[in-house]
Amino acid sequence: MESLLYPMIALGGLGLAFGLLLSFASRKFAVPVDPKVAAVRALLPGANCGACGFEGCDIYAENVAAGKAEINRCPVGGGELAAALAAVMGTEAEIQERKVASVRCRTSCERGIEAYIYQGIRDCRKATVLPGGGPNACSYSCLGFGTCIPACAFGALSVQDGVIVVEGRLCVGCGKCVEACPRGVLEMIPVSQPVCLACNNADKGVQVREVCPEGCIGCGLCAKVCEAKAIEMKNNLPVIDGSLCVGCGKCVEKCPVKAIVVTPAGEEKIGARGE
Amino acid sequence: MHWFELFFGAMLVNNIVLARFLGVCPFLGVSSRMGTARGMGLAVIFVIALASSMTWLVYYWILEPLGITYLSTMAFILVIAAVVQFVEIVMKKLWLALYRSLGIFLPLITTNCAVLGVAVLNVREGFGFVESLVHSVGTASGFMLALILFAGLRERMAESAHDVPEALRGLPLSLVTAGLMALAFMGFQGIF
Amino acid sequence: MKALQERLWAGLIKENPIFVQAIGMCPTLAVTSSATNGFGMGLAVLAVLLCSNAVISLLRRFIPDTVRIPSFIVVIAGFVTVVQFATEAWTPALNRSLGIFIPLIVVNCIILGRAEAYASKNGLLASIFDAVGMGLGFTLALTTLGGIREILGAGTLFGKAVLPAGAQPALVLSMAPGAFIALGILLALVRVVQLRRKGAVAAEGCGGCDLCGEGCPMAGKEADA
Repeated sequence: MESLLYPMIALGGLGLAFGLLLSFASRKFAVPVDPKVAAVRALLPGANCGACGFEGCDIYAENVAAGKAEINRCPVGGGELAAALAAVMGTEAEIQERKVASVRCRTSCERGIEAYIYQGIRDCRKATVLPGGGPNACSYSCLGFGTCIPACAFGALSVQDGVIVVEGRLCVGCGKCVEACPRGVLEMIPVSQPVCLACNNADKGVQVREVCPEGCIGCGLCAKVCEAKAIEMKNNLPVIDGSLCVGCGKCVEKCPVKAIVVTPAGEEKIGARGE
Repeated sequence: MHWFELFFGAMLVNNIVLARFLGVCPFLGVSSRMGTARGMGLAVIFVIALASSMTWLVYYWILEPLGITYLSTMAFILVIAAVVQFVEIVMKKLWLALYRSLGIFLPLITTNCAVLGVAVLNVREGFGFVESLVHSVGTASGFMLALILFAGLRERMAESAHDVPEALRGLPLSLVTAGLMALAFMGFQGIF
Repeated sequence: MKALQERLWAGLIKENPIFVQAIGMCPTLAVTSSATNGFGMGLAVLAVLLCSNAVISLLRRFIPDTVRIPSFIVVIAGFVTVVQFATEAWTPALNRSLGIFIPLIVVNCIILGRAEAYASKNGLLASIFDAVGMGLGFTLALTTLGGIREILGAGTLFGKAVLPAGAQPALVLSMAPGAFIALGILLALVRVVQLRRKGAVAAEGCGGCDLCGEGCPMAGKEADA
């Protein structure tokens, strides 16, 4: 009888003791949970892939519930998920426009000027710490070694002719490539923005001409001719406000070095002018 | 110098991951970034210290006197599950940043063979309470050491990943690297 | 019947726990210094997996969701204790060589994983076949790795000498580092076979989120995401 009784008492007792301890702890150390967060989280697929730009579905749920994140950032859930989230959040959530990545550099293997022959590790992070900021004469340019490519979970980036190219249809706007680029060549722009900047060089005109025939010289003509006052010069580079741009295409025409180019979204408005 | 030998023996000579093969799953899973590796290492040290003390007490104060030591596997795992759950609750309240970065790995410490393995080893070797505590903390420190070293290696390897043949990329290469680390750690044998 | 056969095949080849899913690494590395040990461990895990899957499948409607995992662990611990004593009584040599890894079967990710992913959601017969499939797959993997390590590391297979008399085996393979290296290379070889067989998956280029495999939401979608 003892051989049955002792185990039952011992294990049962242990289980009871721990059960009590845990329920006490869960009450004493309770963290108040916003029911909206739980509701949002329940709708998310739970893949924790990070494509929304947050480290996991839990964090994304919190940001959506707090109104800090757009409801259409999850590519795994897609449109259905966005609709479901809109229902949960009501009209409080602002649906910001989707952003896509854009490369601020138009170099190529042929036209790009090299400072020296580089035979090192083909990684932008490794190359950029070398003297002069890497093998390209322009220390702001895209090196084309493709460190950003594995950062994109959707294969939207590729190297073509020595520079990174973004496939707009595949880009979900998570911004991971922007984090990965050690030189800040990538930026996120609203998907409908008609024009974008294709140069990252913040130096003055004379220095820019030395390293690249197509680099922005900071002349400011684009800002002067802009009808909608959407362009502002900062650090010798134009900053384009996508929400103000009407797509007249004057900046593209006027730029002496053709550093402002038409985006795929702008081709309908402007026509493929400016190249 | 008995404690010294016990601690460093557990940490270096019989390193729990590289020599005893306990805790390999989280070792391969968490070690891709330094920050998570450090956090996981600290969490494991804390959990192992707590869990091994409690399992020692349960074994020598409850199971042995009642003559039901055959229930040790079940009792130990109950204790460990409860301790991990407790740590999770407390951590969520008191140290949210660490809780976030550990993510799913915290409940995974329950099924971490290292924790149960250390508990069983303490009993099999017949350690006293303080001895088993020193042994456990030494073992867990060895886990953290191996984890941090491996994380450093992996971060570097991730940067040149495109040079690796596709079949070897990821887990196979990590395993081979861990093997080379184990080879290096074998140099500690005979040190005491 | 088809579904049951599919479970067997999945466990053995398509979703082999070691070669494809890469879980349950601890015992794989530790006990495969010889083919006999690997085989013995595989059978022990198969036995526990079978019993626990069956019981959990039978109890699946009665276990509340919040205490799911602890209940599974208790069931598994019970069967592991039985296996522990069975090996101690009937195969003491195996018990000695497997050492602490027999009680550690409790925390083997494969058993808990199958209980969570399959047995708690499917009927008795399906769960049993799933357990047999996964268990056999595990045994296959362990015996293969053990065999390779034993032949190259000690010159024997299942205890019988297979290398010619003068050949010097690579002792490192019998020891700890050899386990890691041998498993790594074996996984790479499996990957080579997988890559050759894989056609172009539309989701190629995805980052590999947690839903990889059957649950992949991107599979089949064209690049017009």
